[in-house]
Amino acid sequence: MNDKESGVFRVASDKPFLIGFGILGGSYLLIIVSMVLADLFFLNYVDQPVLGNEMVRQGRHIESGVIVPTEKGRSYFFRAGKNEIGLRQVDGSLLGTGLFTADSSEVVLISSEEGKPVTASLRPEVRLKNFAITNNVATLTTDEPHGLLWGEFISVSSSDVVGWDGIREITETTTDQLSFKLDEGASLAGSLRLSKPNPLVQALRSRDIRFSIKLSLISCTLTTLFSLWVAVPIGYVMSRFQFRGKAVIDTLLDIPIVLPPLVVGLSLLILFRYMPDWLSDAVVYKWPAVVLAQFMVACAFAVRTMRVTFDQIPQRFEQVALTLGCNRNKAFWRVIMPQAKGGLLAAGTLAWARALGEFGPILVFAGATRQKTEVLPTSAFLELQAGRTEGMLAVSLIMIAAAVVVFIVARTLGMKRIFA
Amino acid sequence: MIRLADITIKQGDFELSGIELELSSGEYGVLMGRSGCGKTTLLEAICGLRKIDQGKIILGDRDVTNLPPAERGVGYVPQDRALFPTQPVREQLAFALVLRSLGQSEISRRVEELADLLGLGELLDRLPDKLSGGEAQRVALGRALAHKPSVLCLDEPLSALDEELHDEMCQLLEHVNGQTGVTVLHITHSPSEAKRLAGCHYHLVDGKVHHDV
Repeated sequence: MNDKESGVFRVASDKPFLIGFGILGGSYLLIIVSMVLADLFFLNYVDQPVLGNEMVRQGRHIESGVIVPTEKGRSYFFRAGKNEIGLRQVDGSLLGTGLFTADSSEVVLISSEEGKPVTASLRPEVRLKNFAITNNVATLTTDEPHGLLWGEFISVSSSDVVGWDGIREITETTTDQLSFKLDEGASLAGSLRLSKPNPLVQALRSRDIRFSIKLSLISCTLTTLFSLWVAVPIGYVMSRFQFRGKAVIDTLLDIPIVLPPLVVGLSLLILFRYMPDWLSDAVVYKWPAVVLAQFMVACAFAVRTMRVTFDQIPQRFEQVALTLGCNRNKAFWRVIMPQAKGGLLAAGTLAWARALGEFGPILVFAGATRQKTEVLPTSAFLELQAGRTEGMLAVSLIMIAAAVVVFIVARTLGMKRIFA
Repeated sequence: MIRLADITIKQGDFELSGIELELSSGEYGVLMGRSGCGKTTLLEAICGLRKIDQGKIILGDRDVTNLPPAERGVGYVPQDRALFPTQPVREQLAFALVLRSLGQSEISRRVEELADLLGLGELLDRLPDKLSGGEAQRVALGRALAHKPSVLCLDEPLSALDEELHDEMCQLLEHVNGQTGVTVLHITHSPSEAKRLAGCHYHLVDGKVHHDV
């Protein structure tokens, strides 16, 4: 006799349902976490050697192994490509990637398969030939092209003299020369070591990126304040009052959310063609354009949030306050706003985070001029364009850090309110 | 006193018309009616929270038809009590007094008085979410009485309380009515509750108010 006949009702297990939901939600969470971790891991946090030109010639792997001539006793940096396992020299072999000292006049690449193109990289560590000091500016000559650019930073360390140690900004370069300023009273050094500071230090030292951090922080804060200033009244009116054309206004308020961000910037640019000259001169391609472009998008999100916040506060509170002697204004400030604090904080955080990430409209409406309208996303873009992936990642990390700090502050303040 | 003369309220398909009601000063009035018959609407109209299309509302000796809620001198206790969640009991009781710019000592004296009347002494520093149903009801009552209104409007004040508290609350309401001389309009959908309360009984049926004698 089976269950049906016996009349016992059974319900299927909840497990497949819960596991299914867990997998769907979990995979999204996993992507979020691994995305951030990938950024953190990809970036090299240690100083890198200053390297000369590539020594591996293009070609294919042959049976006897590709030979690269080296100088005995010199340091080289080897990076295995997808067709190499490592390299071999008299002393032994190096697998993968790393710095090594050559022990003879040649090394042999170990290929994973014959006939495949050579993809490895072998570059000598640059050595100093000589150096000179004039007016506290050191000019170093290297034995190989160093590949460093004007405005980049170099980390100098010396064991036996003062005035050299530290991270220096390069003020002049040629292929095998570079100059930087020294501390007052620096003497000729005995032995020097040069290395490239890690990308995070490079980014934080760079004048352009420092400017963009500053502009980002200031513009996002201004945007947040303006957004809240506008979002509170709009959110309140939309939540409490019924009037003709409300549906139309509701739709209009959502336009910045649904419109492609680039179009927002373009529309602003066109709009300012019709503005008086003094106004468009003061705004377009200047820092106010950055704030306005951020504001247009961020404010729409703040309005949404504030409206939901006010929707969740029943009208009863105001009604009671009105009977107790308030007018609408007093009821709003004394009874409604204290309850809307959490929503206000959420709206502010959201607006701030949106503003921080805003890129398209700023590029179109404010341009990407270094030290003028460059904000962090612009920096990331410019770094990428210049082929400096590491620089871009460093800027991304700065943005992640800023966003995390703001979220933590907002959450802590929010918690305080709840547990008070 | 409360006098409603020929009140009409239209709201979409719903309509109350020709409402007449009279309570003399210090009287305890109970307005009964089924759920959804417009009791709360009428109460809101008296408090000035809802526009009326026609008629006159007289509270005390004033025609308040066109006055804002703040100037009508009513105390309003809504069904859900609507205690302000961010304010401790003391601030709720003082709310109306602060708005009237009374002195600090005057305010604390009045708060003590209300706490005595309603037995709130222990609760003055609590937030509303730490109050039980009966306590919250007493606080809401105290808040509505603070500015010594001539009229107290109670919207189903007993409906959210358990049976045991009913009697206690009824006695308290009658006590408040007797002590302060405030005119009370108490609305309820429960005939048994109405029976328990003394005073003047009205019935709201099909948009009309009937006086039960």
